[in-house]
Amino acid sequence: MKLGAYCAMLLREALPDLSWRRRVDARRELLAGIVGAVLVIPQAITFAYLVGLPPETGLYCAVFVGFLASLFGNSPMVGGPNTAVSILLSLTVMQYAGRGSPIYTEFVLVLSLMVGLIQLAIWLLRGAEIFRYFSPAAIIGIKTGVGVLLITSALEGALGLSPLSTQFFYEKFYLAAVSWSELVNPYSVATALVTIVSGLALKRIWPRTYIVAAVIAGGIVGTAIYLVQGPIGSQLELLGHVTMRLLPVQWPHLTPQHWLFMEAVVPSAIAIAVLGLAQSLVIARDLKARLVDDLDLEKEVFAQGIANTLSPIFSTFAGSGSFNRTSVAVGMGARTPLAGIIAAGAVVAFAFALGPLLTYLPMPAIAGVLVLVGIGMIQGDEVRQLMRGRVDGIVFLVTLFTVTFLGLDVGILVAVLASAAFLLAGMSKVDFDVSHEGETECIAVKGNLFYASVDRLGQHLRAHPSACTRLDLTRVPFCDATAHAMICAVQYERSANGGRLDLVPAARA
Amino acid sequence: MRADIMRTTIVTTLAIAALLASAAAMAARPAIDELKSRVVLDDYEANVLFGYNIVMETNKYAARYAGNGLNCTSCHLKGGTQPDGFPLNVAGVYPKWRSKNGVRNGIELRIRDCFLYSLNGVMPPPEAPEVQAVAAYIHYLSEGEVIGKPPAGWGVPTLPDTGADPNPPRGATVYARSCTPCHGKDGRGTAAAPPLWGPDSYNAGAGLNNVQRAAGFIWANMPVGNERSLTHQEALDVAAFLHLQLRPFDPREGGLKKLAERVYHRISTWMGKAER
Ligand code: HEC
Ligand code: HEC
Repeated sequence: MKLGAYCAMLLREALPDLSWRRRVDARRELLAGIVGAVLVIPQAITFAYLVGLPPETGLYCAVFVGFLASLFGNSPMVGGPNTAVSILLSLTVMQYAGRGSPIYTEFVLVLSLMVGLIQLAIWLLRGAEIFRYFSPAAIIGIKTGVGVLLITSALEGALGLSPLSTQFFYEKFYLAAVSWSELVNPYSVATALVTIVSGLALKRIWPRTYIVAAVIAGGIVGTAIYLVQGPIGSQLELLGHVTMRLLPVQWPHLTPQHWLFMEAVVPSAIAIAVLGLAQSLVIARDLKARLVDDLDLEKEVFAQGIANTLSPIFSTFAGSGSFNRTSVAVGMGARTPLAGIIAAGAVVAFAFALGPLLTYLPMPAIAGVLVLVGIGMIQGDEVRQLMRGRVDGIVFLVTLFTVTFLGLDVGILVAVLASAAFLLAGMSKVDFDVSHEGETECIAVKGNLFYASVDRLGQHLRAHPSACTRLDLTRVPFCDATAHAMICAVQYERSANGGRLDLVPAARA
Repeated sequence: MRADIMRTTIVTTLAIAALLASAAAMAARPAIDELKSRVVLDDYEANVLFGYNIVMETNKYAARYAGNGLNCTSCHLKGGTQPDGFPLNVAGVYPKWRSKNGVRNGIELRIRDCFLYSLNGVMPPPEAPEVQAVAAYIHYLSEGEVIGKPPAGWGVPTLPDTGADPNPPRGATVYARSCTPCHGKDGRGTAAAPPLWGPDSYNAGAGLNNVQRAAGFIWANMPVGNERSLTHQEALDVAAFLHLQLRPFDPREGGLKKLAERVYHRISTWMGKAER
């Protein structure tokens, strides 16, 4: 491509494209945005907790990262704080600074900046291509695995097991089962159970807003317990004050210590950047296939990159597109970025209006919400449909297994590899029909001819060096240098031995 | 010439030794200011610094759990380094064995208590980063203290028996005379000093809401700049005066439970009267 054209294309992708204005259905977008804001507040606070930063940073992420991602993108995808990105940020920084200390906060911001810059680099290199190789089976495997992870990580908060820091969820289950009476706080369990059960019950009636109703129900029950038993008697953990500022602008610190840190975490930053993009693009691809056909994947990559690059300036951490919030928004009729933009504004309004109430929101109710979100991500019928196909079933199971047991980062890698392996296996299948026209043998080849698939044809051709063969390549979409060399070698061998190999050409070598 | 060289060598050696010694002392316990200026902090040092910041400016660094106009250093004077002013070099005294539930009460519980009562805030969970950081800072302050032995100047002095009961009305005059310039006529505090009562001060469950302890604190540390100028009796009187003022209720027992108990009590006395 010409440099000028390349630059023009980049410019087009980098500038906000507001052409969606013309097809906006304001009422639907408004409703989707408001419900999205209600949904994101408990999540943002929880994810801030996952990152190890104060709750308001999660809200800043929902507001600013969400707003920028919607403004620069052109899809109804809802961005903002994200489970996997949050967990990885904390896992990375925890090795270099004490969770919660000021230097820890600065490191998280610096790491977020790196993630954003790497995503912008991926955008410049047209990296969205890679994500085409995600098979739908792998995507559903990741989605389901993330659901399982959400549920198990929420279990800790729901049971009030907070001092346990075990690596694997089955250890938690085991410990909780063995020393139930000592470890588990019955008031926490009651609050979380009310949240989950009311959510599941209300899901039938209000398939979109049930999470809001559930958190209100759990909040009321938890607060009642707190008021009756008191803070010491109940040992219920509360959310605490959410001190939000309207414009939390700051410049990230960059001292030699930060440079050392940045150098050390480049691999993690790349992993987080790819992971965030992978999730966003998986969502975007899904939207493009179903609802928004003019969705531009590269533009979404830029939107994610620029939102995360600017995140530290707004005192917050990197995010990505959100599976669950996007599906709620789209379910409520959002078709344009307006829903995301409205959601960002509504978060600010709610946080200021509900501040005092949020202070006394019991954490187990938030844990219950996470369980509900996790359950929502495990879609039985999607999975059942997948399991009908053998290959899809295997990719799905492998992905699900790695995500739940080895974590999302490993899981995504394995999902790419599994998708690619099966894609390659599918591509390297070559059929050839052999027929005879008198003396001449006619071979019609169907499939891609390349280094991985060319062997069987080669063996067949070499078996009869003196035969006359017509090779029909009209149904070969692709033929690589290895295959080309093999054909030339056979032609040479044949002419030396008195045979012939004619081509019916279609494919270019 | 020879002697000169000898002398220079000795002086240099001594200087180096002194430098090394001071470096070793620094390595043992660097000053907070030195930590602040350091380029690279390890996990412990970062937490110590964070803990120090919380103690000095609780409402900024631990806003999530703080709830009033006080900071830890309002009572744990000079960042917890003032003997007789609730110093925080107390790591050696914890954990304490509490026979009631057979659970060891660690320093975390005391920190969380002060958030709930003295700061009239939200009780943080034990593993909250803020609690861990303050614990690290307390550990840092306690370096060199003996385990199991209270540090010198622990808590506040216990005032001897004056022979007279604390007298709140006399305390009011002491307050008007010595305390109003800084803490304000209405006790709501000024730019110079934190509030002593009212909605923005410690609640009724706080450790300072105890006449003896408050008297010891006031006698040893107040008025700032003129400490130990009050007589023991004046300190007790003004403490009793403070104790009578309105402040947020004790959150220990849930408000609803208390209300229910009171309603039940009222109803049962009515019922008793009706029966009689
Ligand atoms: C209103 C005054 C006040 C404030 C503000 C206050 N404390 Fe205290 N604190 C006390 C008193 C009084 C005691 C002693 C209570 C006792 O002995 O029962 C105490 C005891 C403690 C102890 C145990 C020390 C010992 O000597 O055994 C720790 C630790 C502590 N506080 C931490 C904190 C922290 C951390 C903060 C800030 C978040 C804080 N305090 C804020 C009044 C206060
Ligand atoms: C010169 C100003 C000044 C005067 C006069 C003064 N205080 Fe204070 N007081 C302070 C300051 C400042 C603090 C907070 C400690 C700090 O930040 O170092 C404080 C803290 C306190 C506290 C604990 C924190 C709180 O707000 O509950 C009490 C109790 C207290 N003073 C009582 C008194 C009493 C009683 C008097 C009168 C006898 C008095 N003070 C006179 C400046 C003063």
